[in-house]
Amino acid sequence: MTTTIQENGNQLIALFAGRLDTAAAIPTMEAVKPLLEAANREIILDCTQLEYISSSGLRIFLSIRKDAAAHGSKVIVRNISADIRQVFMMTGFISLFEIQ
Amino acid sequence: MENLDFHCQLILEEYRESLPALKRMKEVVTRALHEALERNGLIVTAVEARVKTEESLAGKLALKGAKYATLSDITDILGARIITFYTDDVDRIAAMAEQLFDIDWDNSVDKRRLHQLDSFGYNSLHYICRLPKTLCSDPQFPQLNDIRFELQLRTTLQHAWAAINHDTGYKSGVEIPREYMRRMNRLAGMLEMADDEFSRIRTEITDYRRRVQQLVQNGKLDDVLLDGDTFRSYMMAKPLDRLNKRIAAINQAEIQEAPFIRYLRVLLALDCKTLGDVQRLFRKYEDDAYLLARHQLGNTDLDIVSSAIGLQNICIVCILSNGGGKIGLVRLFDALNGHNPQNEALAELTFEQASNLPFMKISLAENNRAPERG
Repeated sequence: MTTTIQENGNQLIALFAGRLDTAAAIPTMEAVKPLLEAANREIILDCTQLEYISSSGLRIFLSIRKDAAAHGSKVIVRNISADIRQVFMMTGFISLFEIQ
Repeated sequence: MENLDFHCQLILEEYRESLPALKRMKEVVTRALHEALERNGLIVTAVEARVKTEESLAGKLALKGAKYATLSDITDILGARIITFYTDDVDRIAAMAEQLFDIDWDNSVDKRRLHQLDSFGYNSLHYICRLPKTLCSDPQFPQLNDIRFELQLRTTLQHAWAAINHDTGYKSGVEIPREYMRRMNRLAGMLEMADDEFSRIRTEITDYRRRVQQLVQNGKLDDVLLDGDTFRSYMMAKPLDRLNKRIAAINQAEIQEAPFIRYLRVLLALDCKTLGDVQRLFRKYEDDAYLLARHQLGNTDLDIVSSAIGLQNICIVCILSNGGGKIGLVRLFDALNGHNPQNEALAELTFEQASNLPFMKISLAENNRAPERG
């Protein structure tokens, strides 16, 4: 599992690749720290290469969303696979995030 | 500044010496206002404060320096301003300021009561104040309790008017053509009416919300039309708390709070016109919504759900029970999260998962019987 943060104007883009499971949660949380402090930015969680997400992964997305709201930033989840979309639906997270 | 007479030069010297105290006072006043507004739950457009610049003071002294014996006679060296959304708030904040500061009533003016024909933008409330020792006692700056400052209270529209009017030079003493003055005064009247109307609308919305809350509390849900306000009021009572907890218990999941407002459009599309309709829909489908969640989550280790899960599943069950099929589900997912081609695959999957559940079998059986009845 790798997480890369890129900057594009006002956007901060996190590119997730691999399986975001319990084992990957701690390093991923460390990797997304710059997103948690970003104020008044558009934060894109790019899931094009994300193969799997567990509850721990959902909690990381949730932390990013909470901190973003507190700092006036906006979070968009982009390019989730059909399987991950199903996880978002089964947990009711589909109405919690803006998904593109 | 060199043109000022000796008397005015002395006042300017006094100003320079007082500058550190004035800057400290500005901090104290600004903080006191912000804290008091927060304590009183008052939301305003802006709180501003400034210490008059030396240049501006020199200009004032050049015009009417003889009027002032010392710097302390000039009451707007430090000026603070609160800009409110509503006219009603000006009075509430005035009451707050009266408790916060010592008011010099002889020099304070409520220009709103002067009812001048051409002074909408200047119809603000001006208080001349001092900092009481209870609010600030600084041994380094004992004069902070003696220096007077001006506090202006005005609405956003009054502020806009004053700013634009200032820009036109209307107050500069230079005469402007009567035609322009007439048009500015027409605008002034319109803005004053708009200010009053905004206040009235707020009061009526507040009354409406109170009435709705009363009806919800008394269980008269059929009397309450479904809209954004009433839906929010109803959901604050957590009518789906029990269902959400049942769903969470499937995997001992934690529940994360989620907004419900996206479901308003869905409920309206499902023909809910009143909160009574919403309540009946919830009651009718909540057991099947739980069965759907158990079927979906039971084989996973997902131990986190949002508080919208119960409502989401109720909507799914309602759509499928009423023959909405996969197209109905696509519309639901589109409404919840915007149109996306993947919503079709999601609808397909959800339809398949639900097809083994009792409510779908009943629904399908009823649909199959329908042509025979016809």
